Amino acid sequence: MTQAAASAPSLVPLVEADQAPILARPYFPAAGPASPLTASLAHVPEILEVALPFVGRVLGPTALDARTKEIVVLRTSALMECSYCVQTHTAAALDSGLARAQIEALRGEAGIEEAFAAAGERALIAWVDEVALGRGAVGEEVTVRAREAMGDPELVELTLVVGATLMLNRYCTALRLPTSAATLLRLAEEGLA
Amino acid sequence: MSVAASIASGTLGGRVWFYSNYHCNLRCAYCLTESAPEVSRRELGKEEILARGREARELGFTAFGVTGGEPFILEYMPELVSGLGAELPTVVLSNGTAFNERRLREVEPLADLPVHVQISLDHPDPDENDEMRGPENFRKVVEAVPKLVERGIGVRIATTLEDPDAVDPEERERLCELHRSLGVPDEDHIVRPIINRGRAMTNEMGVLAGYEQLDPELTLTADGAFYSPFGPTVRGGRLDTDLLVSRTTSPLREPAEALLRIAESRPPGHDTSIGIN
Ligand code: SF4
Repeated sequence: MTQAAASAPSLVPLVEADQAPILARPYFPAAGPASPLTASLAHVPEILEVALPFVGRVLGPTALDARTKEIVVLRTSALMECSYCVQTHTAAALDSGLARAQIEALRGEAGIEEAFAAAGERALIAWVDEVALGRGAVGEEVTVRAREAMGDPELVELTLVVGATLMLNRYCTALRLPTSAATLLRLAEEGLA
Repeated sequence: MSVAASIASGTLGGRVWFYSNYHCNLRCAYCLTESAPEVSRRELGKEEILARGREARELGFTAFGVTGGEPFILEYMPELVSGLGAELPTVVLSNGTAFNERRLREVEPLADLPVHVQISLDHPDPDENDEMRGPENFRKVVEAVPKLVERGIGVRIATTLEDPDAVDPEERERLCELHRSLGVPDEDHIVRPIINRGRAMTNEMGVLAGYEQLDPELTLTADGAFYSPFGPTVRGGRLDTDLLVSRTTSPLREPAEALLRIAESRPPGHDTSIGIN
């Protein structure tokens, strides 16, 4: 079992490095445990070798800056109450330069208006909220605000980041994947557990 | 490179293996799959095997292998092997203990096909043979082999040893005299090492075999496609996944192409000296 802290075990065993299928091995670190996401996807290597590069590309570095992406991912994960993604991306959000108060606001522990002064970022968060929680197309008022702040490529990419995050939120929560021990330690040290 | 071209060039093994089932009437000490009468059958299924076999031939594979578990405890095995043998040369690995008179009649049509039944026999002395493979195994095998040979069915003998190079020459000669007396010539006698996986690993037997030592031979099971027939082993009741290629087995092109990617990216200097047949 991959070393990870959790109060209850995940619903599928996490594949250990010595059992990693050949095509999954490049995604396992040379030393230390693989992430629970990697170690669970390793049960189906042909999916893993498509899913992890997809997730890495959509959530990783692109034309959009890391701070913007972390706002989207952390906010979406908080709305979906996915503790795995909230904890993992709280650490990533710290690294991307988001302030502690902003992280708390994105996690729903404080008001957005107080933490985010820039109109563009508030428009972004409103867009994320409606994409993640809404059922139909995004409403007119939120669309107008988003269009003032962003062009088509940004809107497309941000919407896809929300969608990919929703997928991961349900995957990680439904399978009860444990947050890695290293992340939990970091959050405890930062007082953001 | 296409699958067919890579088989022709030797990058990919030409034989597709099917794990027909995982249960067995025996419980050998070195069994790779921890097979025994009570384990879950995990059958691949006759229609599934025949369908994948047809695809394999179209893709350019050149031979089939059937293993388990003990294939011949499945009722439909003679019919299945006939179907495979009608497509391509086929070898079926068997412990040789399930050939009663009815079964012998059922396998008679295999005599007209390019089919070999590869039967395990490890030692010329009944007690020593049966120590690893279970009571009465020796007697049943030496009874079954001539009956299969009489019916014109191709039989090979497979001897699995802890260290094939360390066998006493006198003992080796007695074993060879035995298989010759049963009607199996020297060229159809295979000696191979115990592989340190499955129950052999639990019992601390055999040689280590990772994918560097094994030939890439597409192997289909109820759990997915594997790199080699030595891949889908079981230890402590858990399937090993280190040699899993994909869970997808159909269409066959998918695991075949995935296996080819693996074979083409193997590190240089690999030594594929271990084969199952
Ligand atoms: S080695 Fe073969 S005969 Fe022995 S238990 Fe395993 S499957 Fe059965």
